[in-house]
Amino acid sequence: MGFRKGQKVEVYQRSKDESWESYMDRFVGLHGIITDPDTAINDPDALVEVSLDGKGTHRLPQDCLRAIDE
Amino acid sequence: MVSNQCPVTESILFIDDTIASGGLTHPRSRRIAEEIHSLLNDVAWGRAGDDHLPAVQDLIQELLEKKEPQGRRLGQHLNQTLADNMEVFESHVKTHNCPTETCEWLTPAPCQMACPAGIDVPTYVTLIGQGRDAEAIDVIRRDNPFPWVCGLVCTRPCEFMCVRGRMDTPVSIKFLKAFAAERAMSEGTYRNPDKEPDKGKRVCVIGAGPGGLSAAYYLALKGYGVHVIEALPMAGGMIMVGIPRYRLPREVIDREVAMLEELGVTFAFNTRFGQDVTLDALKAEGYVAFFFAIGAHKAYKLGIPGEDDFPQTMEAIDLLRRVALGDRRKPGKQVVVVGGGNVAIDAARTCLRLGCPEVTIAYRRTRHEMPADEEEVEQAEEEGVRFSFLTIPAKIVGQDNCITGLACVRAELVQRDGSTRMSPVPILGSEYTMNADVVISAIGQKVDQLCMGEMKTMGWTRRGTIDVNSVTMQTSIDGVFAAGDAVTGPATVIEAIGGGKRAAEAIDRYLLGIPQPQMPPVPVRRRREECIEVPASTKTVIKRPVMDMLGMDRRRTTFQQVELGYTENMVREEARRCLRCDICRRCGRCIEVCRDKMGISALNMGYMDFDHPVPTDLRITEERCILCGACAANCPTGAMRIEDRGDERLLLLCGTILNRQKLVFCDSCGKAMGPRKYIDFINKRVKSVGQVSEQVMVCEDCARKKTARFNVDTLPI
Repeated sequence: MGFRKGQKVEVYQRSKDESWESYMDRFVGLHGIITDPDTAINDPDALVEVSLDGKGTHRLPQDCLRAIDE
Repeated sequence: MVSNQCPVTESILFIDDTIASGGLTHPRSRRIAEEIHSLLNDVAWGRAGDDHLPAVQDLIQELLEKKEPQGRRLGQHLNQTLADNMEVFESHVKTHNCPTETCEWLTPAPCQMACPAGIDVPTYVTLIGQGRDAEAIDVIRRDNPFPWVCGLVCTRPCEFMCVRGRMDTPVSIKFLKAFAAERAMSEGTYRNPDKEPDKGKRVCVIGAGPGGLSAAYYLALKGYGVHVIEALPMAGGMIMVGIPRYRLPREVIDREVAMLEELGVTFAFNTRFGQDVTLDALKAEGYVAFFFAIGAHKAYKLGIPGEDDFPQTMEAIDLLRRVALGDRRKPGKQVVVVGGGNVAIDAARTCLRLGCPEVTIAYRRTRHEMPADEEEVEQAEEEGVRFSFLTIPAKIVGQDNCITGLACVRAELVQRDGSTRMSPVPILGSEYTMNADVVISAIGQKVDQLCMGEMKTMGWTRRGTIDVNSVTMQTSIDGVFAAGDAVTGPATVIEAIGGGKRAAEAIDRYLLGIPQPQMPPVPVRRRREECIEVPASTKTVIKRPVMDMLGMDRRRTTFQQVELGYTENMVREEARRCLRCDICRRCGRCIEVCRDKMGISALNMGYMDFDHPVPTDLRITEERCILCGACAANCPTGAMRIEDRGDERLLLLCGTILNRQKLVFCDSCGKAMGPRKYIDFINKRVKSVGQVSEQVMVCEDCARKKTARFNVDTLPI
């Protein structure tokens, strides 16, 4: 599991994953909170639910996210 | 990078610049530009009606037909901006929403933006705080047809983003919703909105889970005939057979589903798509669009030796389904549940209730990494579920067709090269066997693709989920839409509801021949309710209530609901903790003005910073504030207000009374001069025109009149 519920993250890059869609480009640079890490199968590939500040809640691939040190 | 410029605001600024530069020499062009400016201002402030955008387009056309070059350039620019961003302009008008957050009056609160269904949280919390529960339910059901279900089982992303959480603890949004739904249902005020006229078209929904039911509800409201096919003998899908009754009583689901039947939605239970009915057969029956919300009901296997050798090995999701359908047989005496998610916790707590004396959850990471809800984990521990962390199952062992134990290896978490993830790695020589007569696997679910077998052209992702356009929920097959766990993989109830609502909107557009949007819909602000007034000291000290729980003996032995709900008093008080972030955008201008311009620093609101919140104390304002009103004058949304009431002046932030002081009145004309602190502050900086002593208070106007009369009287003619 890369992320845990309630963790602050940043969308720091575009993802190469097939689930990345063009409208998500505008999420790069935004901060948010993990609301559902979806780690029941401990899959680093699983999409995680992120609530982005001001942009709503979306499922994003994990490779576009990094944790923000608190 | 993120584009935060709103095209509406950008157009207004462009017109401003064009007029200011003196480029529009023709009076008619200038007047048209001013008219467009005025109309776009209405759009930016949420005051526009349906006629505004067509009127703007007509005026642009007039500009384009003029011979003046600057006017034509302005017209071309505006025309292009409007054409490129029509959806954004429309969202300002139709949904009172600015997706870029530039138009501050129209920006939803973080809790609403966090909700996958986009529920207008501040509005319904305020309504609940005022005791208007039925109205609150009406507001919720604009975006989520199941407020009662979600009030009991939602993963509440809204609470994670709740700004109050940066101050102390988030508002208990979930339980407020449950209370309001229960109260409205009990009083008979839980009602359906009016349906649109019948469109004469029929849509078939496959799967009666939260996603399917949500789509069915919104399609029925739009005037479509909706028929739902469900493999199980009742509606609810995963919320019925995946969530145990001690968390979500069946009556709650039944009552909310019954509201759909009132709208004319019909159901065919015990009907499996692909077996009992096919797509072609449904098309022949006259259905013109299809929505698949089949969920993710197939469990992953542990993949360890012995898994297929013993009948006492089972999948958590199967156990939960059997129990939900009425099977209450005890699976064994020593149960080991493998997994760390909510399903593992649900399976373990269900086993306890079935009478299993010893239930252990084996998880290969630590408590910190467990994906299950923290509250669920705590409740499981209270009830007696044991946890074995850093435990990797290696083999199921047994004899004579019976399990005797689960061979495990201890693990340690290490960071692998090139990865930031902490991975469990077996410790050599740490093998041991846990006593067990039942092993339950709860390591996740996937979509059962077999039930879609006949649909050869259906696109699938590499994760084994249905491939859809995440904006429109459209699949690779024309007229077929999908949402819920079948698309996202095992996810949350509220996400499935949001997906169903989005799909209903897309199906409506598809059937009406309207182009589909390019961006996911942004949440819609339903109202702008008046704030509830609360003194700052009360707002600061009210604490999130503690939930009353069922007695421990009952929790261990029955499936009665564990969380007993808040009392009415708790609910009304809790709603008053809401900071009304739908009105206050936390731009911080009030703080800056008070600190930098006035030099007072009376506003101590550290919660305004998303990334680095510092302590907040709303009570400090009363100690330092002079009630000058500079903060209110600079507030762009009207969140900060200053007003005189009787003999007092009040400073309010979204209803929170930050300061109230007695006014001093002019001894001559009786006009309010401001509080004593304010007058002292001004007097220290400005030399008064007239004489003001401690005993006699005279306002500036009266002082001037007095001085002027003296001067006139004494001046030589």
